[in-house]
Amino acid sequence: MSRVNQGATGLRGALAAAAAGLLANGQAGAQEVPSTPTTVIDSAVLVYHEVGRVQAIEPTLNLSQKIGEDSTLSLGLAADSLTGATPLGAVPSSKAQTYVRPYKIIPLGTPVTVTTASGGSTVVIIPPATGAKSQVLGASTTVPANTYPLDRGFYDRRIAGHAGWEQTLSSTLKIDGGIAYSKEHDYRSESVHVGLTQDLNAHNTTLNAGLNYESDLSFPLGGTPTPLTAMNANWKGADESLHEVDAVLGITQVMSRRWLASLSYSFSDLHGYQTDPYKLISVVDAVSGQPTSQLYENRPDSRRKQSLFLENKVHLPSDVVTVSLRGYKDDWGVKSVTADLRYRLRMGADYYLEPHLRYYRQGAADFFHYYLVNGQAVPEYASADTRLAKLSAQTYGAKFGVRLDDNQELNVRAEYYDQHGNGSPAGAIGQLRQQDLFPDLKAYTLLVGYTMAF
Amino acid sequence: MASPCVVLVDTPDEALGNEIGAIVRAETHRIEAKFSRYRPSVITDINAHAGEAVEVDAETADLLDYASLCHRLSEGRFDITSGVLRRAWRFDRSDAVPTEMQVGAALRYVGWHRVLWDRPHLKLAAGMEIDLGGIGKEYAVDRTIGLAIARAPCAVMVNLGGDLRVSGTKQDGSAWRVAIEDVDRAGSAAGMIDLASGALATSGDAHRHVLRDGTRYGHILDPRNGWPVTDAPRAVTVHAPTCTEAGLLAKLALLSGSGAEAFLRAEQVRAWCVR
Repeated sequence: MSRVNQGATGLRGALAAAAAGLLANGQAGAQEVPSTPTTVIDSAVLVYHEVGRVQAIEPTLNLSQKIGEDSTLSLGLAADSLTGATPLGAVPSSKAQTYVRPYKIIPLGTPVTVTTASGGSTVVIIPPATGAKSQVLGASTTVPANTYPLDRGFYDRRIAGHAGWEQTLSSTLKIDGGIAYSKEHDYRSESVHVGLTQDLNAHNTTLNAGLNYESDLSFPLGGTPTPLTAMNANWKGADESLHEVDAVLGITQVMSRRWLASLSYSFSDLHGYQTDPYKLISVVDAVSGQPTSQLYENRPDSRRKQSLFLENKVHLPSDVVTVSLRGYKDDWGVKSVTADLRYRLRMGADYYLEPHLRYYRQGAADFFHYYLVNGQAVPEYASADTRLAKLSAQTYGAKFGVRLDDNQELNVRAEYYDQHGNGSPAGAIGQLRQQDLFPDLKAYTLLVGYTMAF
Repeated sequence: MASPCVVLVDTPDEALGNEIGAIVRAETHRIEAKFSRYRPSVITDINAHAGEAVEVDAETADLLDYASLCHRLSEGRFDITSGVLRRAWRFDRSDAVPTEMQVGAALRYVGWHRVLWDRPHLKLAAGMEIDLGGIGKEYAVDRTIGLAIARAPCAVMVNLGGDLRVSGTKQDGSAWRVAIEDVDRAGSAAGMIDLASGALATSGDAHRHVLRDGTRYGHILDPRNGWPVTDAPRAVTVHAPTCTEAGLLAKLALLSGSGAEAFLRAEQVRAWCVR
């Protein structure tokens, strides 16, 4: 430091000494420059409950690890456990109805004690086909009169994992790739994807392109039921595969200091087995509307999907609003629109509350029928799965987040989902006029998440 | 810090320049957050517990020691408890001037002599507040220059909203050119200074004042009587080895009102006054 100037009163000297004292002492406690975290661990548990239907619990764990300056490795694991009741696809009736599906396969000749299968259904012995070395035990469910038919023995456990790699090629170009795998007791899915991200205009514009290939295998217990044949428990069809190619093109643009907009177009081409092997469609009497038989559904084995997605994020002085719109259509005749609004309310430096509203509306697939009529020709494709019907749904939810410290965040999300469709379609025959052919579905979701970065 | 902050690093090494920028930014934010009067911080915590003894950490204690010394050296003109006077004075370019009674009422809560400071315990009387805004920015300039030089020997200038310091000359040995802002026209330069070492700090009323009946009441209040210092220069810029010293000398000059230039001359301070 330069010479200390004493001045007239000695003030400057005293001041210089005081300043020196103040600044010298602090060095020991110098703050380390916080570096950007290289490891992020995200864990969450999801609890999902459909009123009167399916319950699921799903813990997930995701890891993102920076390797060197330019690469990031990501790994993820999820496990699902689903139980509960799921619609059979059959119509309700003013008379009790019985349904059967394969439950277990045992070698021929094994003694069987008739027990109760899961969900309160009864185990029944299915007469084996000639020459068969094993025999099938079926689970038989009886649905009371005037009750929407549900399969109460529904259960599934699924495990899924994914691994990804992202590499920065230049200050404006990134490439990424990954693989994913998922398995449950009657379905397996494997996929691989690649993507490119390019920044332009001083990082104000980002273009991204992605390609995904997925190969699935469906292997229900006993085999695949023959479509549009009468319900039985002796499924014999071979395992069925499905191949899917998806392409995405997107652009994200900084519109102003506070507004980010993003538009993307995606296209999917699916070939293979897309039928749900467990879903039925009822054939009803042309006058009384009583079911005369139950057939397995059949969906086309080719599907082309397209969607356009627009999302806007606006950063208000302290809060953030995200509004998005998605339009979808496919060559099965399904068209849908989704509108989503999130408002992140910042409450101080450490808390936020984010209410969420979502509206979804879809039109029916061409081959969706509530039921088929006895005597009329059976169409080539038919499904009574209400997920392919005309429906609308609203989601109301909120997420609450707490920043525990510089490296940890805890969040809780609660949502309520309300789906409705037309339970009394015009032209319903006979007793079907008194039935609700599409009961409302209400579901609650609770998600607790914890993120740690270091 | 609501004013623009700039770090200039004279080096051919871009990565080093970015790193120094990050170091300065991090330390500035740390100090701003720690001593902020607006967001939850050490200061808001102290002020919320006025009337009780509060234990402070070493860095805060160092700043309080320094403020205490400045209070004594300035014979009470520099006082970090004087912020309460803003309850009476609102400097929003309107012509609202408080009455004697309003100022008197606010003065009851002003005065470092009313504070019990026995390191590391601080006890403010109920209703009092402290504000380190008067030394915080200059302290941040000095701290960040220290960290930058500790990181690598290079030519750096840290400028936090007009209070600045250089590590030394530029790489080629020449001085840094600094523009002094025109008090009447924000954004335009009134003059240039060549800075080869040390720091500059400016105090003035250019942006906050009350104009009433042709009299300009600057925003520097004399904590001994609660009224703005009369006939103070519009702005004083001081050059000193550290920003902390420069800042205090500039404020003391302003607080001397009509005697600003005499004060600076007597203390042999290199300074510029604008009237």
